Amino acid sequence: MAGGGELGGGGGRPKRGKHSKRKSKKRLGFRIDMTPLVDITFLLLTFFMFVTTLTTPQVMDMAVPPETEDVEVAESKLFTVRVREDGKIFYNQAMDIPQPIILKELRTKAIKSNLDMKNELITVLKIDENVAYETVVNILDELNLAEIKITQALQAEKLNRERKFTISPMTDKDKEEIKGL
Amino acid sequence: MPKVKMKRTGFVIDMTPLVDITFLLLTFFMFTAKFKSEADNEQKFQIKRPKTQADTAKLPEKDVAVIRIAIDSTRPSDTAYYFSVANPELWMTIKDDPSLAEWLTPERKEASKAMIKTVKIEELETLISVSRTQSKAFNITKKTAAEKAQLRFAIDADKRIRFKWIADAMEAMRRTRQTQFNFVTDKQQ
Repeated sequence: MAGGGELGGGGGRPKRGKHSKRKSKKRLGFRIDMTPLVDITFLLLTFFMFVTTLTTPQVMDMAVPPETEDVEVAESKLFTVRVREDGKIFYNQAMDIPQPIILKELRTKAIKSNLDMKNELITVLKIDENVAYETVVNILDELNLAEIKITQALQAEKLNRERKFTISPMTDKDKEEIKGL
Repeated sequence: MPKVKMKRTGFVIDMTPLVDITFLLLTFFMFTAKFKSEADNEQKFQIKRPKTQADTAKLPEKDVAVIRIAIDSTRPSDTAYYFSVANPELWMTIKDDPSLAEWLTPERKEASKAMIKTVKIEELETLISVSRTQSKAFNITKKTAAEKAQLRFAIDADKRIRFKWIADAMEAMRRTRQTQFNFVTDKQQ
């Protein structure tokens, strides 16, 4: 209704005299009907709001070992995380028997194990081929979040964090180890 | 004295502040709006990315080659790797590489400017190594400060996909000595 009521309204003073041919209207102010302007503006606004994508995709750093001959590592330094076909996660350190673990606990476990061993621990992730990619990313995310805490804790001790992490293929032996658990 | 009854025939709202705010919002959205690129438009599939919490970098807009692995909407069983390079001019040089001559069938050439469907994992390997060498050569000839801007590789996969597909792509990266790469994810809100 803004300004709309003014349409057709003269608003000026009546003529001065009978013989006066001048139509001098003194405009004290005027109104513009803003309704179409607002209409179009809202239309454009909604258009841009729907079209725009505010979230840009993120990237997660990943590294694979170069194709060289196998490096021998002490098994006592290994922290192995295995993911079974049904998405269940198992962890074991060194030669221990694999223990089932839920995703939420993995972070605290990874922090604890890493801090016990300082920079020595090597995290190995073994994933079954049939596991959904989402599960893999969730695990990597938890380990990345753990990494922040580990780095902080080590920095408090004036140590630099050297992350040792690898994804390695799941062998039949690995599958056998976590089969009945 | 009787009360004077005023008959309201209409009322006037001052719309100026409303218009102010609306224009402000409009300009904001107009400047932030980023339209889908040509390559995205040609994309026949949609990737539901996995969500992550950890703070990570944003996907670069240039100098990145993305390997997409999506669940095909038309045929759920059929999944393939899609390869795309963010810079169109770089893709032109990659495409002209003689080692791709056999692979690049007219159909593939026609299919898209930067989004190529690769079916076999060996083809993916060739594409990775060719685009890396070509991007190096490209950056030298351009003589821009882009020597640092090496081509990065990223895997953009649907979260429902089986890990086998990712593992195979990673293996292709490893064989072509591309040991550093990225996984594309969405930030959890």
